This record gives sequence, structure tokens and C-alpha cells, in this order.
Amino acid sequence: MSGEDKQAILSELENGVKTLKQEVAVAAAEKALAAGINPVEAIEEGLAKGIRDVGEKFSRKEMFVVELIYAAEIMAAAIKVLEPELKKVAGQRNVLGKVVLGTVAGDIHDIGKNLVRIMLEAGGFEVHDIGKDASTECFVEKAKEVGASLIGASSLMTTTVDGQKELVDALRSAGIKTPLMVGGAAVSEEWAAEIGANYVSDAGSSVSAAKDLMGKGA
Amino acid sequence: MSGFKAGEFGMKRLEVMEQNDAEAIHVNSLYLLEHMGIKVVSDEGRRLLKEAGADVDEKTKICRIPSYLVDESIRRCKRPVKIAGRNPEYDFVLDGDHCFACTDGVGLSTIDLESGERRGSTLKDVADSAKIVDHLPMIHMYNPIVTPLDVPKHSHTVHEFMAALENCEKHFTTGSTYQKEEAQYEIKMAAEVVGGYKELRRRPIISNLTCTTSPMVLGMTTDAAIEFSRAGCPPLLMAMPLIGATAPMTVAGAVLLGNAQVIALATVLQLAAPGSPLCYSSEPMAMDVQSGLFEGLFPAANMVRAAHVQMAKHYDIPIFIGGWGSCSKAPDVQAGYEKAFSAFIAYLSGADITSGPGLLENWTVLSFEQLIIDHEMFTMMADMLKGFPVDDDSMPLDVIMDVGHEGHYMGKKHTLDHFRSMWQPMVTDGQTYRTWKDAGGKNAVDHAREKAKEILKTHLPEPLDADISKKLKALVAEADINIPHK
Repeated sequence: MSGEDKQAILSELENGVKTLKQEVAVAAAEKALAAGINPVEAIEEGLAKGIRDVGEKFSRKEMFVVELIYAAEIMAAAIKVLEPELKKVAGQRNVLGKVVLGTVAGDIHDIGKNLVRIMLEAGGFEVHDIGKDASTECFVEKAKEVGASLIGASSLMTTTVDGQKELVDALRSAGIKTPLMVGGAAVSEEWAAEIGANYVSDAGSSVSAAKDLMGKGA
Repeated sequence: MSGFKAGEFGMKRLEVMEQNDAEAIHVNSLYLLEHMGIKVVSDEGRRLLKEAGADVDEKTKICRIPSYLVDESIRRCKRPVKIAGRNPEYDFVLDGDHCFACTDGVGLSTIDLESGERRGSTLKDVADSAKIVDHLPMIHMYNPIVTPLDVPKHSHTVHEFMAALENCEKHFTTGSTYQKEEAQYEIKMAAEVVGGYKELRRRPIISNLTCTTSPMVLGMTTDAAIEFSRAGCPPLLMAMPLIGATAPMTVAGAVLLGNAQVIALATVLQLAAPGSPLCYSSEPMAMDVQSGLFEGLFPAANMVRAAHVQMAKHYDIPIFIGGWGSCSKAPDVQAGYEKAFSAFIAYLSGADITSGPGLLENWTVLSFEQLIIDHEMFTMMADMLKGFPVDDDSMPLDVIMDVGHEGHYMGKKHTLDHFRSMWQPMVTDGQTYRTWKDAGGKNAVDHAREKAKEILKTHLPEPLDADISKKLKALVAEADINIPHK
């Protein structure tokens, strides 16, 4: 395969995400597999470039939240095609950091948390999403397992926001010094400061906040 | 240019009276015109009525108009009414189903966009507000929001028309053309722009808001309206009953009086130019019974508005409603709720056009910020009043079953295909507290101020053809000399 052909496939991967065409991205992923392109490269040089572009446009208000989420769905569908090969070359991706992300126990509101995941992944982070209604133990276990460099906890309800404090306490008593980002409608800057966490107001600012926090353990 | 179609998807129009109540208003209007008569100050108006068989008393100037003459005149009005812009892309038709927005006149003060101070209005304010209207997609025609104090008083409307032509490609309504000679110059200018009188009749780029006087007088302004009717440019026949002062202290009484005046003027204009286009118009006000002052947006006045919309529908004549008013002195909460209520009930009733965006303190003060905010409100109303479709695509069983329980629709193709039809704000804040605070804690007025400044800096209306512009300027100079100084 010529370098040109490879570049064409990588461009198709990028453009499929950028222009919100799932069939283009999925077909390009199949082509990438058939052509023997390293799946890590297919992601880094193709799909991720596309989602970063969408993410940047979203931050500049040139694209809409619905488009950002749809782009992420397209990226996930294309990665699913690459998955069998991806497993063989695991550990080769260059990531800025590993983030464990979830919505705290008792809370099932996860759309904001999902937006943060998309933005972080697009920004170069490896995200381990433990979903919604996630117990404190689940956060702690996952952080230990993957060696998290950052933990993100979301809470939308005033009745569940205490779960964030519980999480800080559990992390610190387990000797985990990983910085914690908190966000969601029920969270304020004051609350974050009170519990010793870092406040992120929306998905758009999550990447820069995450970059700032890297290596700044509690 | 498209406004929005009220009830496009099955929503029903609001009617504030029973059908037989509307009929009673009409019958009583006919009774008043035939038995009490209406005072017609215009000589030409009386001449036309007398010739057609009305009982005219030259001493008192009171004309008793037979019912058949009024009914016949209403039937004669041209339908539908076409409204044209300097740029034909901005032409539209008042078909009774679609709703549009226009600015209103005629303020005398402006809240300065830079200093925030209130000052006398200038021709630049007319030019600037016209330019903003040219830019705003959902304001469809321009009526000079203020009367400039820095041009000759006797010919100010001609100067306003010129400033509007230079800055706005949309239809122009003159709100204070009271003299026949002013009308003649404006019609000359309009014909110059479109390429002759015949073309102007086909594409009227100017209309004339003409006021009747309550109670029961057709003033000298009738002469100017006759000129517009004869040129095929629609006059908008306005009643301004002040409930409790120049009209009875009841909603129905004010509706009746205003209606009688409007159909009397329609009769005169149809006699002057049979089959010409015209619009019904109304801008009632209610009294603050404590102080005796008048407020345009008290509930009773809004009910008169809605009832007049129903009367216009009853006659199948388009209606231009003066709404969007507020007695507030600043673009604040009071301005928001008064404007929202008055405009919304008018549009709910099916008004073809409402006017008033940008004005405060009972249509006397221009606020550029308020103009932007009112446009925002109109886009919200339009989004609600057009209704919504109910069909297989809008009730996507397959998508709902695919998402299943506890999922969400944000990443679905169906969502992607539909989200662009959702309303989007221009100045309304929807941020989180932190993001809002970090961006300076701005409210809608702050955003509107920035938007107005941005439009004035960046928006470039298509300039007038150089040759036409020269001829228009010569006409304005001529008008300064020839229009009578009263």
C-alpha cells in the first residue's frame, strides 16, 4: 500500500467524523483493517482528529451539542470495527492521562458526564467511564485498577451531591492522591472548594481543566 | 420573505368574542355611522361621501353614511394585500394566515447606544434603526421608530423615507405623513425607486399608517391616505381609542367606536380608489384609573387589540396591530412582560402584522437594545404559534424503541435531522452560573447592546443605485421647499 492510499483512508476516517457521516467512517475503518493500517494510527491520525475538530467547533459555538454527541457515536461505531485489531496492539496509544469518570451513586443523570467524556477523549485522554449511579467503591476500585491520573465525578441533584464528598474521603483514606474534578448542576465552586475537589462548570472547559490538573495530586 | 404561518400545523386561532358578538359590533358600527354620523374634516373626503349618497352637513362636517355604502366598500377592498420591499426578496403577501412584524413610530427620544443617556432623536437614529431592521430576519418592514428633530419639521417624513431607503431594503411604512403634499413626494420617490407608478401599484414599497381621531372624527390625515390609496399603496387605517377618555370605559365600547371609525375611513378610501388595498389597524390604550394617565398595554387595551383582530378577520381585511408597547422607561422586566403579553395575544388572534419593537414609554422612546430583544421575543412567539406536525416522522416509534429504557436521544440521526428546526437564541442567556459570571455576568440587555453595535458596524445594506439616489435627493430638496410650512 502506498503512503498516499494510507493517507486517503486516514482522511476518510477523519472526515466521516467531521462531517457526521457514519457510513463513511465505518467503511473507512473496514478499509483500514483490510489495508493493515495500525488501528492506533487509524484512531490517532483519523477518527480522533475528526472528533477534536468537532470538539473545537463546539467550543467556539460553531457546532451544536447534538452534532458533538452524534460525532462521538460515529467514532464509537468506527472503533468497534477496529476493536479486534486494537486489542492486539493495546498500550500503544499516546494518552495525556487516564481519567476515571462517572455519575455518583443515586444519580442517573449522565448526559453532561457523557459530554465530558467525549471532550476528554477528543482532547487526548483515555477515559474509563464507570457510568451512572456509580458507587464510591466503584470509583476507588477503577482508579486503582487503571492507575488513574484524574477522577471525574458528576452530580445533578442536591440529594446526591454528598456522594462527591464521600468519594473524596474514600480516595484519601485509601491513600489515593489523584486529583478529583467535580461538576453537574448541583455543584458549585464553593462546594468543590469545601470538599477539596476541583470545579468544572461545563463540558467545554473540561479539557483545559483536566490538563491543568495533570500531576497535581492532592 | 416569509413570516410564519400561524397554526400551520393545526393550531387554532384565538377568538375573544363569539361570532354573533363580532356581528353585533359590526351592526352597531353601521348604526352609529348612519344615525350619528362621523365628522370628516377632509374636504375631499366629504365630497366623495356626498357624491356616493351620504347625508353631509357642510356646516358641522358630519357625514351620515348609509349602511349599504359601508358594506359595499368593505367588500371592494383588494385581497390579498401585497407588501413589497426595495429588494423584491423582501416582498410578502398578507393572506390572513401569515404573521409579520414591523417597527412602530413615532418616538421623539432615543436612549443613546453609547452613553445610555436619553436624548432628542436624530436622523441618524432613523438610519441606524433602519439598518438594524434590515439585518434582523424576523422584522419584515420598517416604520421610522423616531421622528428626527434635526431635519425640517414640515418635511421630516420625506427625510425619514430617504434615510430608510438608504439603510433598509425592506418595506417602508410612514407613520406620520399627515399632509397631502408629503404623501405626494413620498409616492414620487417610491415610484422612482421601483421604476414608475404602474410598477409601484404592482409592488408598493411604501404604505401609510393613517390615524382616525376618537371619538368619531376623520381628520386632515385622510387627504394623505387618499393619495396613497390612489397610488395603490395600502393605507393602514388606525383607531386609537383611549378607553374611558376618548372611548367608553368598557372593552366592547372601545372596540365598537374604533371599528366604526376604521370602516368609515375604509369607505372614504374605497370611494376614492375602488378596489384599492388597505389594512385595518388599531392601537388602543387604557387609563390608569388612579392617575388618569394612559398606558398602552394594560389588559383592557390588549383585549381591544384582540377584538379588533377578530373584526378584521370578520371583514377578511388584513390587520396591522400596534402592540409591543410598554410604559416602562428602560428595557427592563416590565418592558418584557408588557410587550410579550400584548404581542402574543395579537398574534394568537391571528394579527397579520404587529408593530412596536424597539419602543418604550408608550411608543415615545427608542431603545436599540429593546429592538433586538423584541425581535428575540417575536422569534420565540413565531416558533410556538406555527404549531407542530403530528406524523410518522415526528412520532418516531422505531427511534423510541431503539433508545429503549433509560437511554437518550442525543446521539440519534433523528435528533440530528431535527435539531436545526428548534428555536435558537440571539441574546437570551442559557449558560451555567460560572460560565455566565466568567463572561462578565451579562444580561439580555447587555447582549442586545453588543449585538446592536455589531450590526451597525458590520451590516451593509445594498446601496441605492447612484442615479436613483441623485434623483431622490433632488426630490427631498424640492420637498423641503414645496411642502407647506404649517
